[in-house]
Amino acid sequence: MKRSSRRIPLAALAAAGFLLFTCTRAIAMEPALPAIGEPDFQAAARASFHLNHPEEFARVNDPTLAVCNQTRDRPSDLETAVILQREQAAIAYPPGGQLLGDWKKGKDWAELTHGGRIGVPGFDDADDPRAANGANCYACHAINPNFPQAGNMGPPLVGYGKLRGLSPEVVKYTYDKIFNAKSMNPCSLMPRYGGATRLLTPQQVADIVAFLLVPESPVNQERNQ
Amino acid sequence: MKTDESGHCSPAKSMTTLALWVATTIAPAHAQDDRFTAFRDMMAEDNPGEFWVDAGKALFHEPRGPKRQSLAACDFGLGPGVLDGAYAQMPRYFADSGRVETLEGRLVTCMVRLQGFDEQDILGPHYLNAAEENSDRNELTELTAYVAAQSNGMPFRIPLAHPAERRAYALGQYTFNRRMGTMDLSCANCHGEAGKVLRGVDLPVLVDPHTAGKVTAAFPAYVLKDGNVRTWWWRTQRCVLAMRLPWLKTGSELDAALTLFQLKQAEESREPIAVPGIKPRA
Repeated sequence: MKRSSRRIPLAALAAAGFLLFTCTRAIAMEPALPAIGEPDFQAAARASFHLNHPEEFARVNDPTLAVCNQTRDRPSDLETAVILQREQAAIAYPPGGQLLGDWKKGKDWAELTHGGRIGVPGFDDADDPRAANGANCYACHAINPNFPQAGNMGPPLVGYGKLRGLSPEVVKYTYDKIFNAKSMNPCSLMPRYGGATRLLTPQQVADIVAFLLVPESPVNQERNQ
Repeated sequence: MKTDESGHCSPAKSMTTLALWVATTIAPAHAQDDRFTAFRDMMAEDNPGEFWVDAGKALFHEPRGPKRQSLAACDFGLGPGVLDGAYAQMPRYFADSGRVETLEGRLVTCMVRLQGFDEQDILGPHYLNAAEENSDRNELTELTAYVAAQSNGMPFRIPLAHPAERRAYALGQYTFNRRMGTMDLSCANCHGEAGKVLRGVDLPVLVDPHTAGKVTAAFPAYVLKDGNVRTWWWRTQRCVLAMRLPWLKTGSELDAALTLFQLKQAEESREPIAVPGIKPRA
């Protein structure tokens, strides 16, 4: 018993020595990179982004993403609770509270890509803030089986309503998910679409909910031959 | 031959139109990249981007600006006037400006210091080059294409010898992984792993040496969709635009850091620089 307990530290010492040797070699071959922190980034960002208005810089910083960046999208239980509470409180509903809007309008909002792009004077691809925004859902999802484009960053949503039905719970879940995905999953990959500084109005979110859920929407129909 | 609004012949635009016709008429949405690969191979012999390289050569050697000087004395890191292989080792640190500079950033520094141009005049409206159907050329892109083409056939070998270069690499890596903007995304969310498709477009993995090598070695590239030559800054700015971030200044600290980080990822591929490349989209 005594002997074996002495051998283990010796073996550990040898292993540590080997690790130290290989690590030192690695460092000698490639000089270490300096540590970069948030203040370094902030200073560089201030110097690197052209601002038409000072408030454009607000898009660089967000309290929820700050935690997600710091924790590599794995916030602690406490951080998760704080984020979910803040993001749930940010959800707004359309006047009258009808969360199931016009599916034909929702079909357009899902396809359109306009909205939120910042340019410099004379740059033609910037988006006009006075025009209605789209959500560009097809960037990440397959939705309408007849639409020729889709992305795969998010799950396919073909047949979304057919699978889930039209219960009030499903309607509210779908509305909240589109309006603010981080109210459910603190570091969701999905952008938050609702809110004054984001792309969609509450009515537009309700229209997209209808596009996803109502039986007559192409989302829940067979693909045209 | 089509003519543009000013009545000039525009072979570049005609070819872009042909490319779009090939892509949209024959190919189904997701097979576009295969069609474009075939089309790119076909076009490689007569790349319109060569016009930008030729124009850049003339601009480079012509006495210009308030000081009536050429750019022959400009040091791109290998000594004044040495262009062969210089772009393959950029971005790098320059002691005279105290900054890590991209090729475009270095050209601006030399145009200001040697020729007496005003930085705003170089980067201002003439460099917007913005609308997708606008094939106006601008001088900075022409100069960039010319200097970059003098590294053709060489792989990138980005130096990390100076502390400022290592800091730029670390800042580029930090920025690449930082989620921000109205879309809540980082560069890595879309370009960090294989197999991502964005609205029918296959996204290149920019942290994988092979795919990063293929993409970066082609820039500055003739972009079929735009009928214009675009630089690596432009490639980055298109993503920054889609992330709904503010406008990223050409040659800025973050532009240099992101460029250096991405080219360093590409370096291991030993992919030879082939400028101007041909790209379906920037």
